[in-house]
Amino acid sequence: MSTITIVYSVLGVICTLILALIVGTFLPGFERKYIQARIQQRIGPPTTSPGIIAPIKFFFKENISPNSPVPSLYKSLPIVCFIVVLLILLALTPQMYFFGALASIIAIVGFLKVEKVAYVLMGSLSKSVMSLGLSFPDTVKGAAHPNTEKVYLEDISSNRAFRMIAFGSFPFYLALFIPVTITGSIFLGDIVAYQQANGPFIFTLAGFIGAIVFFIGYMILLNEYPFNILKSKADVIEGCYMEYASKYRSFVYLTKGFLMFTLGALFSVLFIGIPPNIFSWGIIVNILVAFIFSILMGVMSAFSPVFTYRQFYPVVISSSLLGVLALAIGLL
Amino acid sequence: MTEENKPVKQEVIETEVAMGTVHPAALEPYRVRLFVEDEIVMDAEITIGVNHRGIERIMEGLPVEKANALTEKVCGICSNAHIWNSVLTAEKGLGIEVPERSNYIRIIMGELERLHSHFLFLGHGNEVLGHETFSMRVFYLRETVMELLRMIGGNRVQYGASIIGGVRPRCEIDEMRTQKILEGMDTLEKGILDFADRFVLDPMVKSRTEGIGVITQKQAKELEVTGPTLRATGIAQDLRVTMKEYEDFDFDIITMDDGDVRSNLLMRALEIPESIKIIRQAVKNLPKGPILDRSWEMFDCDSIKSYIEVPRGTLYHSYAIEEGRVRGSIIRTPSMSNIGAMQTACIGDHVTDAQLCIVQCDPCFTCTDRAIKVIKI
Repeated sequence: MSTITIVYSVLGVICTLILALIVGTFLPGFERKYIQARIQQRIGPPTTSPGIIAPIKFFFKENISPNSPVPSLYKSLPIVCFIVVLLILLALTPQMYFFGALASIIAIVGFLKVEKVAYVLMGSLSKSVMSLGLSFPDTVKGAAHPNTEKVYLEDISSNRAFRMIAFGSFPFYLALFIPVTITGSIFLGDIVAYQQANGPFIFTLAGFIGAIVFFIGYMILLNEYPFNILKSKADVIEGCYMEYASKYRSFVYLTKGFLMFTLGALFSVLFIGIPPNIFSWGIIVNILVAFIFSILMGVMSAFSPVFTYRQFYPVVISSSLLGVLALAIGLL
Repeated sequence: MTEENKPVKQEVIETEVAMGTVHPAALEPYRVRLFVEDEIVMDAEITIGVNHRGIERIMEGLPVEKANALTEKVCGICSNAHIWNSVLTAEKGLGIEVPERSNYIRIIMGELERLHSHFLFLGHGNEVLGHETFSMRVFYLRETVMELLRMIGGNRVQYGASIIGGVRPRCEIDEMRTQKILEGMDTLEKGILDFADRFVLDPMVKSRTEGIGVITQKQAKELEVTGPTLRATGIAQDLRVTMKEYEDFDFDIITMDDGDVRSNLLMRALEIPESIKIIRQAVKNLPKGPILDRSWEMFDCDSIKSYIEVPRGTLYHSYAIEEGRVRGSIIRTPSMSNIGAMQTACIGDHVTDAQLCIVQCDPCFTCTDRAIKVIKI
């Protein structure tokens, strides 16, 4: 490979990442202002506020030391999540297909698992003043069950994150493997090449069902209404993120927008066959998919209450069954 | 969850989840301790008292009219109900018959306040449910009521409408106000019926609210539950039926059978058209004449008791009058009776539903924070 090609590839990857970051910063604001707020007949926040202005503002705020047994690990987790999302996007860029296993479905699943485990750790390492951190005994005279072990709200959120690893992410992972069954390869390069030769999977029956399952998994992964039991305002409030302040919260916000774009790009790669590449017009498709997904998510969120397990289990089971059906069709 | 299916209280409870005194799902400061096993609530304990202001103590020795004005500060939602009942207490003791027109205006204010309270309940209930769109739309409807209250009372929250002998002259309802009230009622009626249709037909909302936070009739009677929370269990009990102020008005008592979150939310939604009906009757048949009778005299009287039906249930005021001043004032708000129901409703449901089970009883802890002495019977 010539030096020019290497420089060209590196430049392509860097520019693609920068573009993804820029687009990603607009996505949460777009969803909140133009979809949710419009449905709810209110003005909503400025488009740039949730994705850009808020992270910048938080970045320059004074940090409050979190109440955590392992503060350094706790503080590093939002940065870990950001890096994981960055690596997923990196694996999706066509210039990286050269690295084989690192640009495969298995690698993507692995990276996503790291992000999920980070939620569990965030919750278990956070001890918020919102639940238990009162500096005086908070049980009144004659209180019921005085010696019961107390848990922090983040602990509950952490348990829920663990359950999400166990069952909540099934639909998403099943959807990821539908293109694998059709192409017979786990490598993203092969999946893209197959679709460029035979047409996008989304126009096949297996691909169409897979796209639906992917979208449900996408909403679960982003912890959006109605699947936001990890950070339900009715009990655990912000859940795992409760104690993050200043630049750490800034990373939380940045990661969310970035993840929205990255998952949109993942869909483009797996179901349309167009990878994110700044030097190709296909990048417009990636951006469009990211915006379409945020529109659909905004509509779904605006018209749904929070799901508890009573609603969550049937949704996960039925969408997983759909995923299995799509896999079976793909194999045939 | 039916009463039979609810888990029996056990001695060994896995963990305690404490929420509050400040929590985003709670409109007011209170602490709830939930005792959970695998995220299912096995027992619950609500502690209030954070917002105690000692209003009854401040009322002690105040001139009756000043004390009446102070009662309005007990609650930011049913402020009119407090001043109305406090004034009624004095009127009862002093034997004052208020002009009929002023009674009608009091009814209009009372029912507008019921609308405002029920809309707030529906908005808050949907917010805790996680349905922001329903919540926002209900709050928009509530704005119409708030503006009508501001038009009549001069303020959106504290109106000071009732005074001994009638209502304040600024609360007079003229032609222009009549027209605006009727237009407002049309808007509200259409809005709430649309909302109720959507609420009933939404399968996701149904799944989240049906069978959650069940209070049976038996439990409701044992816990002395009052107001719409009681009526949501199927017991048709409404003090307005026996209040002489409401004698001229035709309205139905709405009841639901299940006593769950869905019944409680729908109860309030269906009570709104009844209040609208009462307001329309009051405006249509508004008697002519004065709205204030100043020809009364103050004299001493022993403790006088007055009960009225307010948006959340039965409100009790009592005090004695001595040299024109209040003595031994006692105020009991309906949420005091409903705290037991809030605790009971949580048991057996998921921890995410716990706040919803509390909210379904329409708590107003700030006005419930009174100094009381519990006497075991």
